[in-house]
Amino acid sequence: MSEVIVITSGKGGVGKTTTTANVGTGLAQLNKKAVLIDTDIGLRNLDVVMGLENRIVYNLVDVVEGNCRIKQALIKDKKYPNLALLPSAQTRDKTSVTPEQMKKLTDELREEFDYILLDCPAGIEQGFQNAIAGADRALVVTTPEVSAIRDADRIIGLLEANEIKQTQLIVNRLRMDMVKRGDMMTVEDVCEILAINLIGVVPDDEQIVISTNQGEPLVGTDALAGKAFFNICKRINGEEVPFLDLQKRASVFDKLASLFK
Amino acid sequence: MSQPVIIKSNRYGINLILDPCLPFEELLGCITDKFLESEKFFKNAHMALSFEGRDLSEEEEYLILDAISNQTSIHVICIIDNDEIREQYTKQKIDQYLEEESGNTGKFYKGTLRSGQSLECGTSIIIIGDVNPGAKIVSTGNIVVLGALKGTAYAGASGNEECFVVALDMNPVQIKIGGIIGRCEDKGILASIRERKRAVAEPQVATVSGGHILIEPITKNAFHNI
Repeated sequence: MSEVIVITSGKGGVGKTTTTANVGTGLAQLNKKAVLIDTDIGLRNLDVVMGLENRIVYNLVDVVEGNCRIKQALIKDKKYPNLALLPSAQTRDKTSVTPEQMKKLTDELREEFDYILLDCPAGIEQGFQNAIAGADRALVVTTPEVSAIRDADRIIGLLEANEIKQTQLIVNRLRMDMVKRGDMMTVEDVCEILAINLIGVVPDDEQIVISTNQGEPLVGTDALAGKAFFNICKRINGEEVPFLDLQKRASVFDKLASLFK
Repeated sequence: MSQPVIIKSNRYGINLILDPCLPFEELLGCITDKFLESEKFFKNAHMALSFEGRDLSEEEEYLILDAISNQTSIHVICIIDNDEIREQYTKQKIDQYLEEESGNTGKFYKGTLRSGQSLECGTSIIIIGDVNPGAKIVSTGNIVVLGALKGTAYAGASGNEECFVVALDMNPVQIKIGGIIGRCEDKGILASIRERKRAVAEPQVATVSGGHILIEPITKNAFHNI
């Protein structure tokens, strides 16, 4: 049984693309067949984060317009042969594709893949409507900031109105040190405001920036954010995994830091 | 006059400003065209109609009314003329009608209103769920939120300041009752989260008192006042 999952947020820059890349790679590590679709037409970047930009020949719009077959446009990942990417077009815009065409595309991909992940553009316009058209499940990414949470709330309302059956929350870029000082909202605060199920908490981690720049997703490594993303993949896959104790790790850091003070 | 017919809205409905010189037949045509243009905007609105700029005979008024009701789905409740005493009388009648309509009937809405969603209701409304920041609820009657009110609530939208807003957890961005607006304190989200954690949420009621919005815990006394 394959599943189409849209990764969305409303606000830009909260980590949709990073999450898509890491969750997709993580699912491939769990021996699932996964395909990532970049629906951000005109602002293509999932391929860059995946380090696959140099392999692009055809793109999403080519597939939809019938310039090529789906197989020709799919790019196989460098490391995981069961992971593929369908890149977005850089020279077109969101109106080049319709929600009906996206639904048809995802339905065709269901036959071959276990998971179809859609990287949604920021905003609530046509690009968003395209991305959610064929989705069974939505992962809403937010950071613990008012602006991101407000937009996430709007997005959740729109997902409900569009009858997406399952919507889950990822709180990204959490800084435990700031939470402890009382300068940042806690995960509980965010969950209380948005009132949907939590599927993962990803700590703020400079390793993410490094891995993004290298074009190699962090998931599966020992970095805390990598572990957090891998746990999300397992939960998507139906496993029960306890949440990482970010607090504990932070306190070790604190102790180390206090040694040098 | 550049336009033979101008539609202007007021509190009770719309005011038609008519050209005094144009032959009536021609004017009637202009009125019909004008309403057809804006039909989508008015849809099934219930409104009072008034005329300005031209003395109309009763027959002419009827002809205009006929034209409006034949061509559009607008319901004209009554015609208001410019006689001040009569105007006050009609105003009273309309207020009474709206008040009865909105105060005595109510609707239920189940579900949480999220940012960007708005609910408008011509009666009182009871929401079973939360009203999140960025969401808006408008009622011509009272509003009861069986959950947290964190967004904007506008009760007595037709101008009735006797209306009230009740919420189990009262934390609105803005409350408007009739023409009176109250807004929340200027404080950051972290401060308000912390504050709410400290205190146990208790049901509160917002009413208009002395020209301001008053929010108080629900007690027997508070209920006497509403």
